Amino acid sequence: MRRAVAPLLAVTVAMVLADSAVVTLALPDILQHLNATVGQVAWVLIAYNIVLGIAAVPSAALLRAGRPELLSALGIAAFAGSSAACAAAGSIEVLLTARCVQALGGALALVGCLSLLVADRGERQGLAVWITAGVIGTAIGPVVGGLLTQAISWQAIFVVQVPFAVLAVPAALAVRPGEQPRTDRHRPALRANLTQALLSAALTAALFLLVLLLVEGWRHSPATAALTVSVVPIAALCAAPLARLFGTPHHVEVAVGCFLVAGGLAGLAIPPSSSLVWTVAPQALVGLGLGLTVDRLTTMAMEARLPQATHAGWTIAARHVGVVVGLAILTPIFTADLADAEDPAQQAITALVLDAPLRPETKIEVAQALGTELSSQGGQVPDLNRAFDRLHVAPDEQATTDRLEHDLTDQLERAATRAFRDSFLVGAGLALLALLTVLVPTRRRSS
Amino acid sequence: MTALPRWVALPVAAAIAVAVVLGIQLARGGGTYEPLRSPPACADRTVDSQAEGLDGLTERLVLLGLADAACSLGVSREELTLQLAQQGPITDREVESLRSGLVAAVGEMKRDGSLPQASGLMDEALANAGLNRYLERAIRALPDRVVDSAVQVDDVLRRAIGSLDLRATLNSLDDPNALNRQVETAVTQAVKDSLIARIKGLLPGG
Repeated sequence: MRRAVAPLLAVTVAMVLADSAVVTLALPDILQHLNATVGQVAWVLIAYNIVLGIAAVPSAALLRAGRPELLSALGIAAFAGSSAACAAAGSIEVLLTARCVQALGGALALVGCLSLLVADRGERQGLAVWITAGVIGTAIGPVVGGLLTQAISWQAIFVVQVPFAVLAVPAALAVRPGEQPRTDRHRPALRANLTQALLSAALTAALFLLVLLLVEGWRHSPATAALTVSVVPIAALCAAPLARLFGTPHHVEVAVGCFLVAGGLAGLAIPPSSSLVWTVAPQALVGLGLGLTVDRLTTMAMEARLPQATHAGWTIAARHVGVVVGLAILTPIFTADLADAEDPAQQAITALVLDAPLRPETKIEVAQALGTELSSQGGQVPDLNRAFDRLHVAPDEQATTDRLEHDLTDQLERAATRAFRDSFLVGAGLALLALLTVLVPTRRRSS
Repeated sequence: MTALPRWVALPVAAAIAVAVVLGIQLARGGGTYEPLRSPPACADRTVDSQAEGLDGLTERLVLLGLADAACSLGVSREELTLQLAQQGPITDREVESLRSGLVAAVGEMKRDGSLPQASGLMDEALANAGLNRYLERAIRALPDRVVDSAVQVDDVLRRAIGSLDLRATLNSLDDPNALNRQVETAVTQAVKDSLIARIKGLLPGG
């Protein structure tokens, strides 16, 4: 059991942080299954991050006042129970309530696991395990969520977390942490946490918007989207060895990381086509940026600051408030842009149908099928396959109709890509703001 | 000369990587991957039809008429098409622009020689007309020259467009039977009116 303690606690940390974005690819399925609105379903993501962000610092204070192993176990148990409740939710209201409880338990588990990992593995290694688990969880959350949704169902995302969390409860109880300082000895690291918050907002753009573009805009399956966005965690894992190669100072690493995230987001804003290949290099830049920044910023925010759990709370709060701010800024931009994209897309489709080398009666049939599909889209990008499947086309016009379907789909993909452009660029702007917080020189106090 | 510290390589490498990625994306058309833009309202349109006979004539007429109406309304042909196809109220200005656009299209087709002679449309028209067998045979027996001189297609079309209740026609776009009925009624009446006008023109003092 003793040897399993650290891995189980690390998995718990990774799960709690992965849950921040794990449902991103499952949102369309949740929307359909629970008969929710787009606005409601966005709160499955927002509610978790907002509660986690708000509860992190009070959870650290609670841990200092009580017994960390007991409170951590309680947090992990609450996380496990509410994960099961998320999976069993029959309505959006129940799911949102369960997600809030999950985040409350998760906040206690996160800061608790840090104390327990430090007690189990020592200061340096314990902190390193906690940070690494967090980076991995953050990076792979959407990938795992997408694969589980495609392979099984959205509920599977929550079900698989339960056994790991249940096993982590006795693991937490098995650790005997040392005495924690009862008072705050150091102020929160304002600059590192601010950079972290801005970067989290930008990374939200990268992960949340990219999966939405892939699934809703370019109509890929959640599994394809999950595999595509796996470039980010893979690149993130390559970042640390790469930085070691150059022996770069930490603050320069962070600055370079922010710049890479900004560059990657700008690249995602301007793909030359809807081919997945064009997302790979920009994602690699984002992933490298993520790998260079998140663990460094967490270390900078917590290094030599006591009590450690409190500063862990501040860094978690900064990260998840950043996610919420990112969603709050970007969601209205891309939903408005998506609505604005409807007119040009419909006009492009109309032009192609009017000028198509088809007989008039076929054009009318195509127009009627498209009209039905477009009017039932409900603010989403329409599925033209369904419209063309309903057609009864003469064999001599089949090839032309197929070409028309291809051209119309291309127009929709162009419109969707254009609709996401501004949001990605705003995300890049947030990453540049994060870079600015690193570059502004520190004012030295005169003695 | 002092050598630059080794860590400078990371920012330089990052700057190069970002420049290369963005450069390639832009060079391959990254900034312009957008939906087709509609040409300006009065841009010249090439109108082709895959159909022949009455269907081809109708399609060309409607497409040219739409383009002309869109030009006079100051909107693109696509915008006007979508506006007319949607289940919203159609304004008097739109109806009148469409009517004058269709009339202008008839003139344009006559000028460019794409308006067929009446004899070229007769077979199809008679097949759809459901006339008495003997009357149909009698009409078919008429020489093309007589038919073409008696029925001027441009005149018939202008009359049909003038008498057609375009608002009702646009409201029947989803109902092909109702649409055909309205157009047939208008065209039949226009043929009659055109023939009467021709006969009156032949009479002394007509």
